[in-house]
Amino acid sequence: MLKYIIKRILVTIPVLIGVVFLIFVMLSVVPGDPLTVMMGEKVKVDVIERLSQSMHLNDPWYVRFVWYLWDAFHGDFGTSYKLMRSVSSLIAGAFPKTLMLAVTAAALSWVIGIPAGIISAVKKNSLADHLFMGFALCGVSIPAFSVGMILQNLFNGILPVSGFASPRHLILPALVLGWNAAGTIARLTRSSLLEVLEDDYIRTARAKGLAPVPVILSHALKNSLLPVITMMAIQISSLLSGAVITETLFSIPGVGRLAVDAINSRDMPLLQGTVIFTTAVIIAGNLAADILYSVVDPRIRVEGGK
Amino acid sequence: MKKYVSLLMAGVLAVGTLGGCSSAFEDTADTTSAAAGGSTKAVQEESGESSGGTGATDQSAPGDNMLHIPAKDEFPTVDTQKDTEFYVVPLNIYDRLVECEVVDGVAEIVPSLAETWEVSDDGLVYTFHLRKDVTFHNGEKLTADDVVYTVDRMMNPDTAARNTDVYSMIKGANARLNGEADSVEGVVALDEYTVEFTLDVPFGPFLANLATPACSVYNRKATQEAGDQFGIDPELTVGTGPFKMSDWVLNDRLTMVKNDDYFKGAPKLDGIEVIQVPDENTQKLMYENGELDIVDLSSSSSQLAYFLGNDAYKDNLVTGPEAGCYFYVFNQDMKPTDDVRVRKAISMAIDRQTILDQMYSGAGHVVNSMLPDGVLGAYDAAEIPYDPEGAKALLAEAGYGDGCELEIYQQTDNPDALAINQVIQSMLNEVGITVTIKQMDDAAYFAERKEGRLGMTRASWKADFNDPDNFLYTFFTERNAKIRSNNHKNTDVYQWLEDARAMVDEKERMALYQKIDTTVIQEDFTVLPLFQMDHIVVVQDWVKDFHVAWNGWTDVSYYTVSLEK
Repeated sequence: MLKYIIKRILVTIPVLIGVVFLIFVMLSVVPGDPLTVMMGEKVKVDVIERLSQSMHLNDPWYVRFVWYLWDAFHGDFGTSYKLMRSVSSLIAGAFPKTLMLAVTAAALSWVIGIPAGIISAVKKNSLADHLFMGFALCGVSIPAFSVGMILQNLFNGILPVSGFASPRHLILPALVLGWNAAGTIARLTRSSLLEVLEDDYIRTARAKGLAPVPVILSHALKNSLLPVITMMAIQISSLLSGAVITETLFSIPGVGRLAVDAINSRDMPLLQGTVIFTTAVIIAGNLAADILYSVVDPRIRVEGGK
Repeated sequence: MKKYVSLLMAGVLAVGTLGGCSSAFEDTADTTSAAAGGSTKAVQEESGESSGGTGATDQSAPGDNMLHIPAKDEFPTVDTQKDTEFYVVPLNIYDRLVECEVVDGVAEIVPSLAETWEVSDDGLVYTFHLRKDVTFHNGEKLTADDVVYTVDRMMNPDTAARNTDVYSMIKGANARLNGEADSVEGVVALDEYTVEFTLDVPFGPFLANLATPACSVYNRKATQEAGDQFGIDPELTVGTGPFKMSDWVLNDRLTMVKNDDYFKGAPKLDGIEVIQVPDENTQKLMYENGELDIVDLSSSSSQLAYFLGNDAYKDNLVTGPEAGCYFYVFNQDMKPTDDVRVRKAISMAIDRQTILDQMYSGAGHVVNSMLPDGVLGAYDAAEIPYDPEGAKALLAEAGYGDGCELEIYQQTDNPDALAINQVIQSMLNEVGITVTIKQMDDAAYFAERKEGRLGMTRASWKADFNDPDNFLYTFFTERNAKIRSNNHKNTDVYQWLEDARAMVDEKERMALYQKIDTTVIQEDFTVLPLFQMDHIVVVQDWVKDFHVAWNGWTDVSYYTVSLEK
């Protein structure tokens, strides 16, 4: 198992280099340089020329790419052009906020999504089923910015609509993200539970005279949750990499907000930093899902596992 | 074994979350506590628990004496030498040698850190006598050496400053910037409280220029000790101003507290909280909640109509003239605006008064000059007539009798620009010009503009310092004409702009600026001036003594403001 994990981690290194490479190429073809956009209306050519020189902005992108990798391998991810602070410190400062939001939203989606999915599957085609699935469909299909703005207008004066100063500030953004995630989870739980309920062993269990509740909870659910767990892991890693729109709408100073700012201001070091971080989080999330998978389902054995 | 692994992972996640919880919220105050209505008490108790008595909660409690204002974008640093955009913090934590303030309705240069000053007859030597009772936030006394240090730090190439142009007319300043000298020759401390500036050539707007935020005076000891953390670390960022920086949670909020030892007397506010609220609609909601005390509607234009159209806010609007104007810039290197007749025709085909009345509720007036009221040198310029028939004749004369195509450029995500561009599009269509509106993101827009490749575009300029130089030099010297994408070719104007800077006789200088303005606008039709707008700010009932600054900036000093809750 350990060998497998180490191998998986080693494989991420070329992935990360590839991602950095792609961004260097992409940003070298889009117009705009960080100093010009930061100075905006107050553009001063001689200042831009002088600072571009000292910030090595005039070097070809492949030269900057090699230097970037060199520094990154030495643990130096550079200084943000726009925010003038070290990229590592910016991400370290933003991540706890993103983590809080992600964990709250994920917990919310599990608490709502799984029971809703179970009830819908068991009471298939009932009023409750239609109601839950209707809500789930809305959650999956309405974009975050419109849900967010509707909630902000509805709850203005009751709950804080912007900022990140107290746990109360988390409620609305977590609802926006959680609703979307809960929708996916409820739909997946329902369909996968329905499939399992058709299986022979469930019929056998019922024929044995077991009560409906234990049949569902201890027999059916256990097997139907596998795809749900995978989905949960994927969701949490994408939440952890920063919910870009939600964070901007609710002014949450998380990783997503940093990434948006970085793109808008052509802040190369900060963008690289957030992308590397995001990639690493997603890879870690997938790895965790794989490990969890093998724990839940003994049939699945990863290579080299016992 | 695997069960333990999963248990362990769950445990790590839980601990991480709790750790994240406490660290994510610490040091931040609760904005909801200012929420209007009867539930504020309960909210306060709750917030007291959540922030664990860090003291921040007390600052923000209801009925407190803190001013809450929004900001749309995070400041990179509050070191004014390194930032050209965000001045709300610098205007409140630093002072300048002189300030520009409205006295009896006119913007004037008034004493600040300098009590008095003399200018030599040739306009080359400025001698400032400093106040003797000024201390920095770290307790150090202000001396002439601090002023010398401030100028030297700006021009020191190691500082990587972005506002070097404010001192570039000082003797030896450019040599220092180019690394040819170890100090700025033209700035000398004559004694502990007297400092002398010597210029290369006379510079008419020099005093006005010293009143800009970029010329804020720093303390040598504190600034040297802070190194690159000056302007970033609240503890290390030291000024003389009415407020001191106390806390900065990036992308969330920046807190300033009052400086009881301020040399003009302690401010009436206990402090200021600048809250990051990028979304304009959210700003409106927070204002209605009472979470924000002041919202600048001129920089939040999508909400302007809502507040103007709502009678409930009639008494909450504070207005003042903006010392600035909006205008369209024509690119003389691009067809068809390379032909002066086309530029004139476009100018005559646009009904500016109607646009102002219909789109901006008439909150301003049409201008025919780049020098708006309230700025030195403003004059009554001849009216550019609205005359579509005349415009058609001019186009025919220029060989575009069958019509022509024109591109108007703008930034994406700018609904205000899009709306006016669409109106212009239909007005120009009336005279046979087919307009395409091109939208680009900020970075691409500014990059194209710097290279002189941006087509017709709407622009605006608000005074940094009170002098026509700030408007005309910025747009119409040879180099600036390129980077502002107007590419106008009048070499006389280039020369006059340099001449005007060095003139000592104020009357002659203003006359020359008016000649430049008339030439550029009424003869060359380089830009089409549109409007001078009123600056509109909505303030809560309890905010007293708030005034729009002389230049109509969003960023102002809140020294005189008080709250009566």
